[in-house]
Amino acid sequence: MTDGPTQEYDEPDEPTRTDDEANESTGAGDEPAESNERAPVVEVEGLSHAFGDVDVFSDLSFSLEAGSVTALVGPNGSGKTTLLRAVLGLLEPDEGRVTLTGVGPTDRRVGYLPQRPQFRPTFTVAETLQFYADLLDREVDVPGIVDRVGLSGASDRRVDALSGGMTRLLGIGQAVLGDPPLVVLDEPTGDLDPRMTEYIFELVGELADDGMAVLLATHNLAGAEAADSVLLLDHGDVVAEGSPADFVARTDAEDFRGAFLALTGGDAAEAGVDADRATPTVSVRTRGGDGE
Amino acid sequence: MNRESVDRLLAVAGRELATVVRTRAFLALAGGFAVVVAALAWTAGAVGYVPLVLDLLTPVEVLVPALALAFGYRTVLGDAERGELDVIRTYPVSRATYVLGAYLGRAAALLVAVIVPLSAVALLVPLFGGVGTTVVASHAASDSPVLYLRFVVLTAAFALVVMAAAMAVSTNARSSRAGVAVAVTLGVALVVGFDAGIVAGLVGGVVPEGALELALGLSPNSAFRGLVLESVVGGVAGAPSTSPVPSVLGLLAWLAGALAVATVTVWSGERR
Repeated sequence: MTDGPTQEYDEPDEPTRTDDEANESTGAGDEPAESNERAPVVEVEGLSHAFGDVDVFSDLSFSLEAGSVTALVGPNGSGKTTLLRAVLGLLEPDEGRVTLTGVGPTDRRVGYLPQRPQFRPTFTVAETLQFYADLLDREVDVPGIVDRVGLSGASDRRVDALSGGMTRLLGIGQAVLGDPPLVVLDEPTGDLDPRMTEYIFELVGELADDGMAVLLATHNLAGAEAADSVLLLDHGDVVAEGSPADFVARTDAEDFRGAFLALTGGDAAEAGVDADRATPTVSVRTRGGDGE
Repeated sequence: MNRESVDRLLAVAGRELATVVRTRAFLALAGGFAVVVAALAWTAGAVGYVPLVLDLLTPVEVLVPALALAFGYRTVLGDAERGELDVIRTYPVSRATYVLGAYLGRAAALLVAVIVPLSAVALLVPLFGGVGTTVVASHAASDSPVLYLRFVVLTAAFALVVMAAAMAVSTNARSSRAGVAVAVTLGVALVVGFDAGIVAGLVGGVVPEGALELALGLSPNSAFRGLVLESVVGGVAGAPSTSPVPSVLGLLAWLAGALAVATVTVWSGERR
C-alpha cells in the first residue's frame, strides 16, 4: 500500500521534507496517495536526540496508521514536543529515521498545529487560510475548511479578535489544508475550557475518519483514552504503548487514568496531568462512536 | 522556477505587502520619512534638481537604511516567534521561495515609501524653484529632472540592498531583542562604521590609495554616494569621472550575499 515515494527525514544537509528541491529529487510522479485505511503512514525507527549532554529520547521506534489517532502522553519535559518536531522534519535527530509513505512529491506531507498557534493579527480567518492554501499545488475549498472547523461565523473576523479556542480551531483548519496523510497536533486542547476541549477531540476523531493519521501530544487523559493507541513517553523512553484498554489490562488498574498514574509513578502532578482534567469529565467521542 | 513556485512566491510576497499596508507602525514610519523629505526640500528652497539632490543625499543615506531595516528586520523573525515559520515548512515551499517572496513583498512596500515622497518633492523645483529651474535642459552640464530621476533610481536600488541586509538580520536573529540590536548595529555600521573603517584603513596603510575605489564599493553607503555624485553631480560639474563599476558590483554583492545568507539560514536555529 505504499505506491507513492518514500520520504526520509534524515537527509544530512536538508532535514526538512518540504523543500522543492527535495521534492524534485525523488523523481516520483504526481499521482495522489492511495487511501490507506489502517495502513502504516509513518515509520519511526531508532530515533535518538540529545541537547548537549542531555538525552531527550533514545532509540524510539513506532509506526502510525492511516485513519487512526495516536496520543502521545507523558510528563512535562519528557520530550513530546521534541519528538513531534523530529517527526515533522523540523528537527534533525542525532540518529534514526522517520519514513513517510504513500505521498506524492508535490503533496503536503504533514499538517502541523503548534502548541500555541499564532497568525498575522491583521489578517482575517479566511485570509489566513487562503494564504496557506495558496502555498499548495491544488485548489482548496477554503470556505469549506472554515466550515469544517466550525468558524464559518467568524470567517471575516481578524485573527487578533479571536478567542484562544477559535485560534486553535483556525490552527487545525490550517493543519488539514491539502489533506495531508499525517496531522501532528501539539497539545491541541491546552488551556481550553471543557466545551472547546470536547469539540476539538470531536474534530480529531473526524480527521481520522477521513483517513488521516493523527498524532497528538496531550495532557488530557480523557482525550488520550479516546485515541486508538497511546504512546507513553517518560524520560526519553516509550515506557508503554498500545490501546487504552491495553494500558488498563497491563496494570490491573480500574481505568485508563489509574493505568497512566501507575505507569508514571502514581503522582498526577509529576505525571504532568492536570488533576481536574485527569478525570474524564467531558464526553469525548471515541474512534468507534460516542463514548466517555 | 516552475509556475507553482512562482505562485507560492507571489502568495508570500502578497502576504508581506498586505502586512505592511495594514500595520500602523509601518505607515507612520513611511509618513515620517515623507514629512522629513518634504521639510528638507522646502527649507532648502528647491532651487534646482541637482541642488535638491545635494540637499537630500546625506539625509537619505541615513533615513533609507533606517526605514529599510525597520521594515525588514522582523519579517522572518515574526513568523518564527509566532510559530508560523514551522508551519510554513510543512508546506511544499522551498526556503528560496519563502525568502525571496518575503523580500519582494517588503521591498515593494519600501519602494513605495521611498520613491513617492522623493518624486513628489521634485515638483517643488518647477513650482517654487528659482529662475534657473524654469527651463528644463537636456544638456548634461545643466540642471535637469533626468539627473534627479537618476538619484531616485539609485536611492531605490540602495533601499533594495539594505532591505536584503535586513532580511539576513531577520533570519539570523534569535529573538526580538537580538533582532533590534543587530539591526541598529548594522544601521550604524552602514551610516558611519564602514566609511570610518575605510578612513582608518587608509590612515593606517591597510588600504592602499590605489584600492580606495574598491574599498568604497564595499561600503553600501559609499557606493551609493559615489554613484549619485558620479551620475548626478559629476555630469553638471564636469568633474573627472571615476569608474562606477566597483560601486555597482559592491551593491550587487551586498544584495546577492545578504539574500544568500537569508536563504541558507532561514530554516535553521531555534528562536524565541
